[in-house]
Amino acid sequence: MSSGWGSEIAALLAKEVRAELRGRSGLLTALLFNVAAIVAASFASSAQGMPAFGIAAMLWVILLFAAVVALPRAFLVEEEQGTGDLLRLWARPHSVFWGKALYNLGLMLLTGALLSALYLLLSGQTVERPALYVACLLGGCAALAGSTTLCGAFVAQASNRFALAGAVALPLLVPLLAVTVTGTASAFGAGSAESAERAAAGLWAYAVATFAMGPYLFAAVWKS
Amino acid sequence: MTGFLIAALGLGVSLGIYLAMAAAPAESFQSPELARIVFFHLPCALISSLFLVLGAAFAAARLVKGGAAWDRRSHACIEIAFVFGLLALATGIIFSKVQWGAYWSWDPRQTSFLLVMLIVGAYFALRSAFADEARRGAVSAAYALASLLPILFLVFVYPRIVTTLHPDVVREGGFDNEYRVVFLVNLAAILGVAAWLYNLRVRCASLESNLEETLARLADRDRPAAVGVVRPVSLSSED
Amino acid sequence: MLAVEGLGKRFGPVSVFRGLEFSVGLGDGLLVLGPNGSGKSTLLRILGGLLAPTEGSVRWEGDPRTSLGYSALDLAVYPHLTVQEHFLLAGRLRGCDPRADDLTEGFGLAGHKEHFASKLSSGLRSRLKLALSVQSRPSLLLLDEPGVGLDEAGLSLLDRVCAEQRERGALVVATNDPKERRLGSHELRLGE
Repeated sequence: MSSGWGSEIAALLAKEVRAELRGRSGLLTALLFNVAAIVAASFASSAQGMPAFGIAAMLWVILLFAAVVALPRAFLVEEEQGTGDLLRLWARPHSVFWGKALYNLGLMLLTGALLSALYLLLSGQTVERPALYVACLLGGCAALAGSTTLCGAFVAQASNRFALAGAVALPLLVPLLAVTVTGTASAFGAGSAESAERAAAGLWAYAVATFAMGPYLFAAVWKS
Repeated sequence: MTGFLIAALGLGVSLGIYLAMAAAPAESFQSPELARIVFFHLPCALISSLFLVLGAAFAAARLVKGGAAWDRRSHACIEIAFVFGLLALATGIIFSKVQWGAYWSWDPRQTSFLLVMLIVGAYFALRSAFADEARRGAVSAAYALASLLPILFLVFVYPRIVTTLHPDVVREGGFDNEYRVVFLVNLAAILGVAAWLYNLRVRCASLESNLEETLARLADRDRPAAVGVVRPVSLSSED
Repeated sequence: MLAVEGLGKRFGPVSVFRGLEFSVGLGDGLLVLGPNGSGKSTLLRILGGLLAPTEGSVRWEGDPRTSLGYSALDLAVYPHLTVQEHFLLAGRLRGCDPRADDLTEGFGLAGHKEHFASKLSSGLRSRLKLALSVQSRPSLLLLDEPGVGLDEAGLSLLDRVCAEQRERGALVVATNDPKERRLGSHELRLGE
């Protein structure tokens, strides 16, 4: 019996979901932190009458930290609990990367959708270009998911891995903020539609590039 | 590097400094004498960018071909890029103050270069977290390649799509002929210094690696490392 | 099945072993012996592809996911997966028959199929790891301290697994236990 890539990736993805749902503590903690951050940001932005650009910036800073704190765990937990070797023995590197990356992508898209909806509700910000807003949101979340998955893989076997994950991922992702904030602010109406379209295209291109080169970079470090 | 080359490099650097400090007219700058630092600022920034790209190229070679030598070259390039990047930032901060009145104005090119230095700083933090040489080399190389896309975006794309105080003198030809000569002489001289430092650094790293190996072999002489011999198992009569 | 040439491993300036050369073929059982710190576990991790050597090479035949089996004391299992789920996951990733029913019966885990691995005793976890290591009927089986934590029945099981393995392929066992010398046909002493 031979299984294809799809079956291997699906098996790993199912394992991730199952382990997270059964473990639960990681998800709940992250959710609580993120919701608290959104409430604090909404309060600050409504009290100060923050412009659209500021609201976009606050949203993406929160999403950035949500990604950096939660997503590298996919690899870090494997090494913490000592099961990394099991995966190295059983699975091909590309399957491992895609299984983890797709899990992180799903998690980040869900987080982005929930947090942004909550933030819009609490801040009262209107969205003049909903389609472009969604394109920027999804593209930005995809780019965050790809990059943080890769950073998690890089630091998984390092000493002080949990702190190092943030230190390594943040500088890589801050440039992404410039594009996401510009695109989202334009979608709110603070800029032109062309600006939002360029930003969305740039984010999707970055996401595709990260997911395309990710498996190969991962394979180089997985069994080094 | 031979004595002749070192002497030539010294002459080149001296000429560059003289031209920048004395020969080039600087009346168009707000504070002419201090503004001459721009002749060192721009070459440092260009050389930092060049060595970052070279470092990524050597990193790719490390991943494809393996071996510690490629890792040493990549690491040396990124170290040189970091040093010259910091010099570019420092000289840029001085020039910003004398020309535009503020040390830091969140100018897009200033900001993007700072972010590049943060990314490079993270590279060193990542490297220092691995004791095993093979793993350290592989992870560093992978990170260098992963960071290439954001670095290229920050250095070449972002400052050109937003409004910046920095003129694009390389593409748009904002330099007069006299300035261009001074700039090119300093670029050649500082590039020579960077190449010399790179060469020294690679040789130093190679010697460190050889030393480690020699120390290991010397330790083996006193306490022989396990060099096993396969023998048949002799089973006792109860088996 | 396995060929090792000029193998060495160094951690910084500390050399664990160097210059190892041996090969293991059908029916061979190689015991890796030596005092604590002599590099037995390090050698097995290198042979299993989990650690890169500093010098030399290791060659084994076939796809390591199915032709190689590995079990070690410090190998962990997934705390939030059941025994059954471990076999199903491993089978799908390796591309082999999970043999969940056969292996749980054969390794005394039938009554624990739906139990999470975190709830198993250390002895049962050792059995689970041993069962997972032979799931794909590997041609080369690597065992690091396999007898630790096993009761008498478990030790008999270990004997059976090793005997079957040597009929099918080759076996390498790292051990400190003199009683486990019965599992092999040749010995490699490290640290002497």
